[in-house]
Amino acid sequence: MNDIEAIRDFFLAGDAGKLKRSYQQLSGSFEATPPVVEDWQEVEFAFNRLFVGPAALEAPPFSSVYLDAQGLVMGQTTMAVRQMYAALGLESPWKNSLPDDHISLELDAALAMNHVLKKLGHSEIQELHARFMNHMTRWVPLFADRVLTAPSRHPAINHVVLCLSDWLDKQTCGLKNYQSAREEKV
Amino acid sequence: MSTTENTPETQAGICPLTRRRFMKGLLAAGVLANLPCGLLRPTRTEAGEIVYAGDYEIFRNACPRNCYDTCSIKTYVKDGVVQFIEGATESTFTRGGLCVKGYGYTRRPYSPDRIKYPMVQEGRGTGNWRRVSWDEAMDRIAKKILQIQEKDGNLLGLALSKYSGNFGITNYGIEGMMSSLGYTTRLTGTPCWPAGIDAQNFDMGDMWCNDPEDMVHARYVILWGGNAAWNSVHSVKYVYEAKRRGAKIVVIDPIMTQMAAKADEYWQIRTSTDGALALGMARHILDNKLYDRDWVMANSVGFEEFASYLRENVTVEWAAKESGVPATNIIEMAEEFATAKPATIWIGYGLQRHVNGGAAVRAIDALVAMTGNVGKVGGGARYGHLRTWGFNYHALLQKQPEGAKGVPGKAEVKGDFHFAGGNDAAAVSYSDRILNINKTAQVILDANDPPIRMLWVACKNPFSQDFDRNKMVKAFEKLEMVVTVDQFFNETVNMSDIVLPVTTLFEEWTINASYWHYWLSINERAIQPMYETKSDIQIAATLSKKMNALKPGSCTFPTEIDSKEWMTKEFNQGIYDLFGIKSWEDLKKGPAKAKMPSAAWHDLKFGTPSGKYEFKSELAAEWGNKALPEYVAPREKTDKYRVLTPHTKFGLHSQFINLDWSEEFNPKPFVYVHPQLAAEKNIKDGDTVRVFNSIGEVKTTAKLSTVVPSDAILMYEAWFRNNPYNVQNVVDDTSSDMGAYKTGQPGVAIHDQFADLAKV
Ligand code: SF4
Repeated sequence: MNDIEAIRDFFLAGDAGKLKRSYQQLSGSFEATPPVVEDWQEVEFAFNRLFVGPAALEAPPFSSVYLDAQGLVMGQTTMAVRQMYAALGLESPWKNSLPDDHISLELDAALAMNHVLKKLGHSEIQELHARFMNHMTRWVPLFADRVLTAPSRHPAINHVVLCLSDWLDKQTCGLKNYQSAREEKV
Repeated sequence: MSTTENTPETQAGICPLTRRRFMKGLLAAGVLANLPCGLLRPTRTEAGEIVYAGDYEIFRNACPRNCYDTCSIKTYVKDGVVQFIEGATESTFTRGGLCVKGYGYTRRPYSPDRIKYPMVQEGRGTGNWRRVSWDEAMDRIAKKILQIQEKDGNLLGLALSKYSGNFGITNYGIEGMMSSLGYTTRLTGTPCWPAGIDAQNFDMGDMWCNDPEDMVHARYVILWGGNAAWNSVHSVKYVYEAKRRGAKIVVIDPIMTQMAAKADEYWQIRTSTDGALALGMARHILDNKLYDRDWVMANSVGFEEFASYLRENVTVEWAAKESGVPATNIIEMAEEFATAKPATIWIGYGLQRHVNGGAAVRAIDALVAMTGNVGKVGGGARYGHLRTWGFNYHALLQKQPEGAKGVPGKAEVKGDFHFAGGNDAAAVSYSDRILNINKTAQVILDANDPPIRMLWVACKNPFSQDFDRNKMVKAFEKLEMVVTVDQFFNETVNMSDIVLPVTTLFEEWTINASYWHYWLSINERAIQPMYETKSDIQIAATLSKKMNALKPGSCTFPTEIDSKEWMTKEFNQGIYDLFGIKSWEDLKKGPAKAKMPSAAWHDLKFGTPSGKYEFKSELAAEWGNKALPEYVAPREKTDKYRVLTPHTKFGLHSQFINLDWSEEFNPKPFVYVHPQLAAEKNIKDGDTVRVFNSIGEVKTTAKLSTVVPSDAILMYEAWFRNNPYNVQNVVDDTSSDMGAYKTGQPGVAIHDQFADLAKV
């Protein structure tokens, strides 16, 4: 399992056990050392306050909340993300019950795109990937910021979010290379 | 990449990629076969194309939140997502529009903050929530129910707190769920309008109002103790039309409401003296022979006794002194009202939330009746009606399991909307334990044989809406388990052990009737339920499944239900005939209006024991009230200033205020104080103040306003998601005078509250 899969699973974890498992699957390829967690139940409580509920979420894990003027889910951004999945021939198994732009689904799509990109380096998939990464870079930093400064922030969750930011930085580095190459062509 | 490409607009119109070609490439290369993604899956539809232009799917919905208007809604859906809504154009009442609250509905299913999953709180109020599966939630709940049964030999330790948060007909399946488990404790009655319901039943034999659309024919309209401009926006157009046609519009209210501001004449009455004003007018009408003698002779009983009561006990001067409305104006209003034909009074629910509220409604009814305005188009003592609610109550009527025990003997569950008797009398040897919803905290504290061990809360937010909040905190401490079913987190959820996520109106099937206008709507499932939400009846079925798995036969509720089919089971021929439809499917084309004459009591056949309008009601006397609509004195002051906690513009009781749209307009609560009182207390606009009395206090920002009487403190009822403000801290559970006859329990004197005020 690679790190991005672990991060993906972390944000979908329904309980302390699953949080722990995905956390431990983070390989440590990131610079920061993962904080040692003594009480996973505490992480679960913080995780739910941030991302699940039942109270108002401190850091909703949906891109539309950060990018749409409305601050809701299932709006323009969610549909745009859905369309990008569809462009790959993919759809969410929870279509219309979990917003398509949940961080875990987006990470899953990123995995798929990276894979396809590796297999077929043609320009259409490059373009799609670039757009998708561009989308992620527009909201993940805002999301990370919310998590890191939330009243219920927790070192373990912060760590995962920092790993996520790290990964995205690397992706966008590649993206910049792609963009400059593209501009040169133009 | 240019910056314009960063906007969501361009993303929405995304993908210059020609998808089909692109997909073909992927397929040819076999890339789609081994994707590393663990969640996303290949699209099931062949093309998988999302079409953004073009037709919407249209569904029928209705606003189910206990609002006069119960608007019919048209919902536009694309790709399984609600895009926008509008009021149904087919209803002449809604006429294509909703209200500021209703237009926010699209934000409910899609708010990131809605309750999404069943969750368990480790310690009430700790905020330490664990997400659990439906199975685990039901397992905990079912085991607790079985444990109560084991311990007490019955289920009276399980209580239901439910009211009108979702007023759909199938939502009565919640009561059905309780019956299907056994004999339980029911918190019955209504905090809303019971005193007025009894009053109208004593006078006329039922609560039945004219079609609000016929108000256009009135020549004189008194809006008494209600703020239609905020709370029944769609009715206001009929008031305006009456005005355009020459009617005079008068508003009587302790608060200079928005409706008052729109009227021709406004009287700031001393709170809770409405009966005195109505009787003063009646006396003047009597003395000047302006009453409708023929009507009274033909259609009423007890008028002579009423007339003697007026002559002996009431004068215009007395009424002026009591009510604060000058005698000359009482006289003028009385004369105008009596001579305008037809004249009507809209009796707001606020005026009966008093220890003398039922008596006040009876006095107002008498005023309308003696002037011959009952049974007339454009006339009437308008309060509400339940004439269009004759459904089957299939979801409500469930049988107790074999051998279930409860309170020995038969006791009838009553309530404003309890139409169906349920058990057939002969077979019944046990009943539910019936307690007063308006004293929820007190009855939980008092019940001991057996104690209430478990509370199921649905369609209700007791911590925001029930009275004496501090007592409620104590009462909850006594409960062993609290389960709350809701859409959004609130103080009651915070004080619960388990929360279950419930569907919004767009995600369930039901039917919505109005207690004001004559229209009927179905509510279709327009989108699939988001997250793991379920409708109330699906929750009942899920619980039944678990109960029966753990102990076969312990719950009679069906374990699998099709909620659309359950909606259809509520219809009967009577409903079809009343609305002139062949089948419920006709309602898919739009709401239907009852084929009833617009004037209530048009045939002058009253439902009273005498069959006539009863100025003198023996039934009222039997239920502990005066037989005549005599004046009952207001509640004695218990503190320095009266506290008024009416409806806000941006919410419906505890609902809507928490939503972001409402918050934009109404971000925080205020205490409204008259400048004169403020000066006495050295309070300036914007100061933080404390409103306090013997049961609690509210701390918030003061706003100086002349709309409030100078001896009163005004705070709108509400809860804010980020603010501990709660008016129930200073509202006690004193009963109003009526309500027990028809709704099973007396109402609450919500506006007979007193407190002191100080700058913090
Ligand atoms: S709150 Fe009342 S007026 Fe507003 S949409 Fe609902 S029913 Fe209509």
